[in-house]
Amino acid sequence: MQVDERRLREALSKPAEYGEDLDLGEFEQESRERVEVDEDVRRRSLEVGVDLRRASSLTTFLQIDHEIAYRAVQKQFQGDIELMPIQEALERYPWVRELFWNLVSPYADKYTAYNALRPPSGFFLRILEGRRLHMPIQACFFSYSPGIIQSVHNLIVAEPGSEAYIITGCTMRRGDQKGLHIGVTEIFVKPGAKLNYTMIHRWGPNFHVRPRTGIILEESAATSYNYVLLGHVGSFQSKPFTRLEGRGATISMSNIIYLDGSSKMDMGGDCSIAGKNGRAELTTSAVALDRAKLTMRGRILCEADDGRGHISCRGLMLSDEAEIYTIPELISRRMNASLTHEAAIGRISEDQLIYLMSRGLSREEAESLIVRGFLDVSPLNLPSFLEESIKKIIDLAIKGF
Amino acid sequence: MLRVENLHVAVRDRLILKGVSLEVGDGEVHVIFGPNGSGKSTLAMAIIGHPDYRIVSGRIFFDGQDITEKPIDERARMGISIAFQNPPKLHGVKLKDLLARIASENGVGERFLEIVDRLNISQEHLNRYVNVGFSGGEIKRCELAQALASNPKLIILDEPDSGVDVENLELIGRFLSESLRGRSALIITHHGYILRHLKPVKAHVLIDGVIACEGDPDQILNRIMKDGYRWCERCRLMRGV
Repeated sequence: MQVDERRLREALSKPAEYGEDLDLGEFEQESRERVEVDEDVRRRSLEVGVDLRRASSLTTFLQIDHEIAYRAVQKQFQGDIELMPIQEALERYPWVRELFWNLVSPYADKYTAYNALRPPSGFFLRILEGRRLHMPIQACFFSYSPGIIQSVHNLIVAEPGSEAYIITGCTMRRGDQKGLHIGVTEIFVKPGAKLNYTMIHRWGPNFHVRPRTGIILEESAATSYNYVLLGHVGSFQSKPFTRLEGRGATISMSNIIYLDGSSKMDMGGDCSIAGKNGRAELTTSAVALDRAKLTMRGRILCEADDGRGHISCRGLMLSDEAEIYTIPELISRRMNASLTHEAAIGRISEDQLIYLMSRGLSREEAESLIVRGFLDVSPLNLPSFLEESIKKIIDLAIKGF
Repeated sequence: MLRVENLHVAVRDRLILKGVSLEVGDGEVHVIFGPNGSGKSTLAMAIIGHPDYRIVSGRIFFDGQDITEKPIDERARMGISIAFQNPPKLHGVKLKDLLARIASENGVGERFLEIVDRLNISQEHLNRYVNVGFSGGEIKRCELAQALASNPKLIILDEPDSGVDVENLELIGRFLSESLRGRSALIITHHGYILRHLKPVKAHVLIDGVIACEGDPDQILNRIMKDGYRWCERCRLMRGV
């Protein structure tokens, strides 16, 4: 899509609809340090599920600040997928230029505008028709230079009948580092394609995150869009949008959130069912500690026959200074649509604690087991080996609890 | 193994047990009968150390130690285990993982899988979350597996035979007759079905928070079956308890 530079410059001062407004002038535009893939980078990437030691045996894309540090397609999948820097794809394919900025508006707010004004960086991933990838594709976006705005634009096309798992880990070099991550992701899921897109993020108290995501599902396409955030974030705001365009399309958007410190998070999920028999499910399990504040916005609009939608939000409060606020919205324009929501916020049940303690677990062990159980990974629809590795990451993140 | 001395227990402000004494020797299986509301489960909860059950007076000794003041988890680690009657659901905690953890912390290791096998717990059941969507029989079998996975010295079974169909009862009965060998056990039962498979050495009848009668389990059960708990009521009055 062609963008209008004048409109973009105007949009640079437009705050987002939700979340804390940031002054982009307070951040660095360019990397000031020489980027190096050292042990720190490898260790922190592993914390978000990206194993760079196995980079050569897995399909991998690693971007540090704005530099593509590594990319490789696993031998057995060569010819099944295309993975390249988005810049390269835009130059090579006119149709990619058409899809670019199609699902997310570059004029939406200052973050999208900033992203659109910069030279594009990020990946283009195309899973070719009918190809089924049983091993995950891993991508890692690493913020390296202190104070930087890391601006990323990814575009994914799952062609008809294809299947793939994508794990995207985002993190940074030092826990106290200042920075802003603006990640635009546009996902096109063609008829009958199945895609599982799982993001695992770990940030810090001085880091701000503004993901902007658009997904479109054609006939009988199915997508699991999963977001896992562990620990501390300065501020976070996102409201990924999915349009279920074709008949019988299915979207499951799941969030697993373990929020501590003074984190401020405004997370949403927005689905529009436009095709007959569309199914949308938004699920959030969130644990709030310390002074963390979490707002959960779920919205499902049904404009097609026999659409089904469900929003579920479960919150566990581990501090009196924390806050969880849920805002579910259901809009139906069809008699035969069925839309539901449920929300429950509470503390750890004493009955469960005593039950586990009667099995010999200490109070702390029992609490930790219940919290880990609460952050249930089964809604992520992952194969068991990925489920296990994400469980381990969550265990590691809450170990200090 | 277990000695309870003149135990008075209150739940909130209500006194439920009003002076219970009993002794279970090493490797002995005892049974507690009693009508609903007589304090059977309260006795079980007081022995395991459930914090909602306040010991007003009296003492509990286990394995030669006074455990009256010990917290629930410490008692469990000393070798007391329980199969609950109505356990809570644990979302996100797989039965398999909980059993493996209990077993590994008690040196049982992989041997818990034998217990699982003997209780006819399927792989599918093991992969489900503890007590979430379990049938009555599945809950009982899952409780027994957990209670035995810690290789306890004393096991308390709170109504192992209630709400269980005939097939499950048969299985549980056979399992217990093998698994209780060499262990001390206290079995709480309202209607005594489980005694078709087990031969306890002694029965205690609890009525209104006191032991109304004690003796041979078969004789007592036969009398209860014939005359109901009213018989024990009279017995208690006659004994002037």
